[in-house]
Amino acid sequence: MNHSETPTTDADLLVLHALRCTGATGPARLSLATGLDESDVESELIDLGVAGLVTRISGPMPGWSLTDAGRAADIERITGELEAAGARAAVTAAYERFLVLNPELLDLCTAWQLRTVDGVAGVNDHSDPAYDARVLERFADLDRRAAAVCAELAAALPRFGRYRDRLAGALGRAASGELEYVTDSTASYHTVWAELHEDLLITLGMPRWPR
Amino acid sequence: MAPMRWVRAISARVEETAETLGGKAHGLVLLHRLGLRVPAGFVVTTEACRAFLRDGRRPGGLDEELAAAVADLERSTGRVFGGPRRPLAVSVRSGAGVSMPGMMNTVLNLGLTTEATEGLAAETGDRPFALDARSRFLASFASATGAAEDLAGERRGRPVPDDANRQLEWAVEAVFASWDTPRARTYRTLNGIPHDLGTAVVVQRMVFGNRDARSGTGVAFSRDPNTGENVPYGEVLFGRQGDDVVSGRSATRPLGELAAREPGVWAELLDALRRIEGHYRDACYVEFTFEAGELWILQVRPGRFAGAAAVRLATELVDERVIERREALLRVSPRHLPHVRTPRIAPSERTDLLARGIGACPGVAAGRVATTAEGAVLMARDAPVILVRPETSPDDMHGLAAAAGIVTARGGPASHAAVVARAMGKPAVVGVTGLTVDAGSGSVAVGGRSVGDGTLITIDGTSGEVALGTPRVVADAADDHLHRLLAWADDVSGDHSARDEARRLDAAHAVLRRHPPTDRANR
Repeated sequence: MNHSETPTTDADLLVLHALRCTGATGPARLSLATGLDESDVESELIDLGVAGLVTRISGPMPGWSLTDAGRAADIERITGELEAAGARAAVTAAYERFLVLNPELLDLCTAWQLRTVDGVAGVNDHSDPAYDARVLERFADLDRRAAAVCAELAAALPRFGRYRDRLAGALGRAASGELEYVTDSTASYHTVWAELHEDLLITLGMPRWPR
Repeated sequence: MAPMRWVRAISARVEETAETLGGKAHGLVLLHRLGLRVPAGFVVTTEACRAFLRDGRRPGGLDEELAAAVADLERSTGRVFGGPRRPLAVSVRSGAGVSMPGMMNTVLNLGLTTEATEGLAAETGDRPFALDARSRFLASFASATGAAEDLAGERRGRPVPDDANRQLEWAVEAVFASWDTPRARTYRTLNGIPHDLGTAVVVQRMVFGNRDARSGTGVAFSRDPNTGENVPYGEVLFGRQGDDVVSGRSATRPLGELAAREPGVWAELLDALRRIEGHYRDACYVEFTFEAGELWILQVRPGRFAGAAAVRLATELVDERVIERREALLRVSPRHLPHVRTPRIAPSERTDLLARGIGACPGVAAGRVATTAEGAVLMARDAPVILVRPETSPDDMHGLAAAAGIVTARGGPASHAAVVARAMGKPAVVGVTGLTVDAGSGSVAVGGRSVGDGTLITIDGTSGEVALGTPRVVADAADDHLHRLLAWADDVSGDHSARDEARRLDAAHAVLRRHPPTDRANR
């Protein structure tokens, strides 16, 4: 790589960008997404709020969300970071490999939720440990291939390294019996994967559905 | 001609099994036997695929056999493969026993070299049609083989050969190779399908649903797969090719519109469905194309109904004296029964159907349209909300959490929206073709109609229906059929005590499996 120094993303941008990739949410999830302490996340949120980039939402699902100015600032700084690191080519190449894995991941999530028995597609009620183990074994196989993609991303931009930890963590908890960590919880493999997908699209400035 | 090792012409005389021919070609043989109009073609056997997977290259003699089979096709159609006059174009489709995500599906219009495209333009006097056909070939060939060339001739990846025979060899090889993609392997592992079966490749003369105003394409069930009712059900697209139906690029019309626009095609289609049902003694599914008012059947399989539809179908086939009671009982899995009473929008003339997509999570939800996640959260404080989005992303999660149901324009049963909806247990309809969402003005347009944020709608996550207002919802549409079926089950088991429905059916199955009915041999 031409640029010997890979940048470390500033904490305020980490929080801003995590909020962009996870949608409206609270400090607990942002802490998981960024690896920062929850109290540090809160203090960054308050500063970002003062700058008019994020806003607190009240009501039945309290949390924080980006303002229009926050979205614009996020795109500008994330793109700036990508270009400064000279990482566009590497991230684009990794994204293309991600896209090969993405339909298989969605197949696997669907197989986790729905199961065809006697030709009838129904909800997987998780009463058959052998079936669940088979699906999780395929998740692990996919995860090994995803790990290679994550490693390429982290080499290009260290902030992507967090996804590897979160994906591995989700799969580990699912394997030890916390089944909600496959598709259901806000820290599930599917949720983290979808956030990585969103992050790649935003970072590269690509539409989700090219026309 | 010397006997072929790897290739078989598809005709009524072919005797080999679906294991060798693949399910698709096996179905085409059946259509020939029933005297239905099928585009002439041939199949490359699964054995050739297995040889390819073993050796990593096309088996010796295959290319020669392909050329010979094409020569036969040229003779029977009076056309020339890749020729400048009366060009022959073919479709190339994977033909495994089961359709598998990750596998190459179809290359259309193969053989339309630059020269043949000019020939097609001259023959039809319709140059835009010929160029459209060529661009569909390039797109489907590129996605199958990785070769790419846009219409301006600009190249990415390895170039598309401008030789029809080379195109065919590459496409056949691409189908073989697609058997072994990681995604296909994963699918087989999860569904208990052996990895060593291989896929066949079906090559057929093209019929053009985009040929003229009296052409089109569609899919049809002999009965309604949502309810089991004995009425043909499906979709049709006028003036289009089959990939438009499958890709969701174009909004389809209800099958019944064929009756008024192409009465001859409609009558023939009904006759075909009746004949195929007679053979399967079961509901069936076909894919068809009509070109200049002439119907062609491209694919056939049994209907594979589930839930209430399976119960009604099995019971009515007994009423129609098509099958016996014991057979009807065996056709309904006890696993169907929990789904029989899933709430559904009641079929009614008065239901104002706004759109139809793919049911992704069963159940019915009624609520007010919200076109943004933020709007959904706000509106949900007062009353239930249906979140309507082009597609969903993590950015929509709080809206998904707040909504009672979800509708998306894009995506299939494995899309982000579908996975999240099932995780949250919320009814969802995805892939509503032609639906556009304008979050800026807070409106949703589909089928020439437009509704705004706050409009009350009801969605059915089984059938994929999106209706205006609050149509009647039922959970017992198949109750009469179910009661009769379970009474037959009790007669078979001899146990008339009060029990759980699945156990009543299980008990009958246990007896029937010990005494297999003789007529099952025909199935």
